[in-house]
Amino acid sequence: MTRQLEPDDKIRSEQQTGIPVWDLFIRFFHWSLLALVCLAAFTGFLGEEWWLNYHIWAGYAIGLLVVMRLVWGFVGSPFARFSSFVFSKQQTLSFVRQLLKGRPPRHTGHNPAGALMVFALLLVLSGLVLSGLVLLGGQENQGPLAGLIPYFIGAAFGEFHEFLAALLLFMIGAHIAGVIVESRLGGENLVRAMLTGKKRFSLPGHETAYAKRKAALVAIAICGTIGLAGAGAWRSLATIHPGGLPKMPENVAWKSECGDCHYAYHPSLLPGKSWQMLMAGLASHFGEDASLDEKTRREISSWLQKHAAEHWDTEAANNLRHISAEQPLRITASPWWKRRHAEVGKAVFARKSIGSRGNCIACHRDADSGRFDDQKINIPEK
Amino acid sequence: MRKSLIPLALSGLAMTLTPALAGSGRTGILEQLQAEAGQAFSAERGKALFMARHKGGKPKTPSCTTCHSKSPLNAGRTRAGKRIAPMAVSKTSDRYSDPKKVAKWFRRNCRSVLGRECTPLEKGDFITFMMSR
Ligand code: HEC
Ligand code: HEC
Ligand code: HEC
Repeated sequence: MTRQLEPDDKIRSEQQTGIPVWDLFIRFFHWSLLALVCLAAFTGFLGEEWWLNYHIWAGYAIGLLVVMRLVWGFVGSPFARFSSFVFSKQQTLSFVRQLLKGRPPRHTGHNPAGALMVFALLLVLSGLVLSGLVLLGGQENQGPLAGLIPYFIGAAFGEFHEFLAALLLFMIGAHIAGVIVESRLGGENLVRAMLTGKKRFSLPGHETAYAKRKAALVAIAICGTIGLAGAGAWRSLATIHPGGLPKMPENVAWKSECGDCHYAYHPSLLPGKSWQMLMAGLASHFGEDASLDEKTRREISSWLQKHAAEHWDTEAANNLRHISAEQPLRITASPWWKRRHAEVGKAVFARKSIGSRGNCIACHRDADSGRFDDQKINIPEK
Repeated sequence: MRKSLIPLALSGLAMTLTPALAGSGRTGILEQLQAEAGQAFSAERGKALFMARHKGGKPKTPSCTTCHSKSPLNAGRTRAGKRIAPMAVSKTSDRYSDPKKVAKWFRRNCRSVLGRECTPLEKGDFITFMMSR
């Protein structure tokens, strides 16, 4: 299917050396982006919860790459510049029409369809990084936005993040299809061109050279400035205490009295009403007598109610507020808890070092803080 | 240099005193129970109380051994999965030395297992048994 070159095509052909089109940065950008998107997609769609850090770091790296690409799009090599692949509507439509006839006109850099894809990919990638940051800050109380974003906004952006991720997969499929079609119809192996940087053909009158050292220095200076400003903003954002996790004074009586038979359940894991009921019925506490003297009982009861789930904005507190109607005192009976742990088998809870569903701290190393970070999940082997 | 010796000396003192204090706490508790029971304690009866399966308590906790394991020398486990240090004084030296703690757990555990509070005689027997181990 390779289209034969005709003499009047007026196409310069330098089969021996090739024409420099994709400079080193563009190639680095393309292939490292591919690797990072694979890592992010794998950890996001298939990975275990405790791999979240890999996902987050892939996201940060993708964000950095996109910023560098945007800068290079203004100061970089001729075919890296956005101005070289902004096409009018007519140009794009006529390209598509020709493409459908099987005779796409030749372009040295991106063709109009490819250009659209590049802009769309950059847009969706930026959207993914930004929505990921909002999700991380709002839902997980982590990252630079932890102090700013409430849970419900983070959760909403989570939906958007997932939608964009699915969209990205779809676009990658279309991108690969486009590359295959263009390579076959146009007689230029685009994958090899993205590896070597060289194309065999170019249209006359196109300046085909890599950027000079000066352009690289300008780009580094701009990226450095953006980086410094970003790091400064990040540092000052990091000083804001996460709104979802108010500072809680430790209660000695609770820690010792409620920690004798099991992990002392963090107050954010049940609503105030449940705590009140639970503390009123200690003489018959899940099949045991856990009674306390009246003074201690009152103290712990009011402390638990004061710091109950209503007063936290974590993922656990937001969801565990909705208790089971039949067993309002059991955290492990709440619909959300059951759904979240549906994949953890019965045999796992029965392991010697875990013992029961209620032994949160056996698997959640940060259970004492009430955070329940994904990264702190660690299911013991035995 | 000298200053750093003071905490060292103090902690040494504390280490020698803790078992002694624990011992005196235990003696006080036993004397109190003795006065209430008005009868000599028996490690044999204590053992029987510890090992027996009782009726009248809560169904999930028929025996002291449900949580404290079959041997006072071994660590036990609560129904929620938390480790309980061995009950024998030879294994856990500060056992039965804090009157409030002892009263609290006898109250709870006897109610759970026997469905009633333990008598001073039963409590004394139990501690005597644990001290003999
Ligand atoms: C005498 C032992 C004992 C003491 C003391 C005790 N608990 Fe419990 N608790 C239990 C047992 C046993 C269970 C049920 C464990 C199971 O079925 O897995 C339980 C379960 C719970 C649960 C439900 C966990 C779940 O599965 O969702 C909560 C909440 C709880 N306890 C809170 C407290 C609080 C608050 C205190 C302090 C006032 C306390 N407990 C003191 C023995 C105790
Ligand atoms: C056997 C180990 C185990 C025990 C015990 C356990 N969990 Fe989990 N928990 C997990 C795993 C695994 C996940 C991740 C599930 C998933 O979404 O794939 C999880 C997820 C969670 C999450 C969501 C975390 C997030 O950010 O995604 C919360 C909150 C949570 N557990 C709370 C609890 C509480 C409260 C208890 C005790 C009452 C508990 N867990 C007991 C293993 C455990
Ligand atoms: C449901 C589990 C459970 C059962 C059944 C149980 N215990 Fe306990 N017991 C505990 C726990 C938990 C502690 C406190 C943990 C610790 O002291 O290491 C404790 C502590 C005690 C203490 C206080 C020890 C001290 O250091 O002061 C005494 C006394 C005691 N138990 C007696 C009994 C007796 C007698 C029975 C049977 C009638 C019994 N227990 C049955 C769970 C249980």
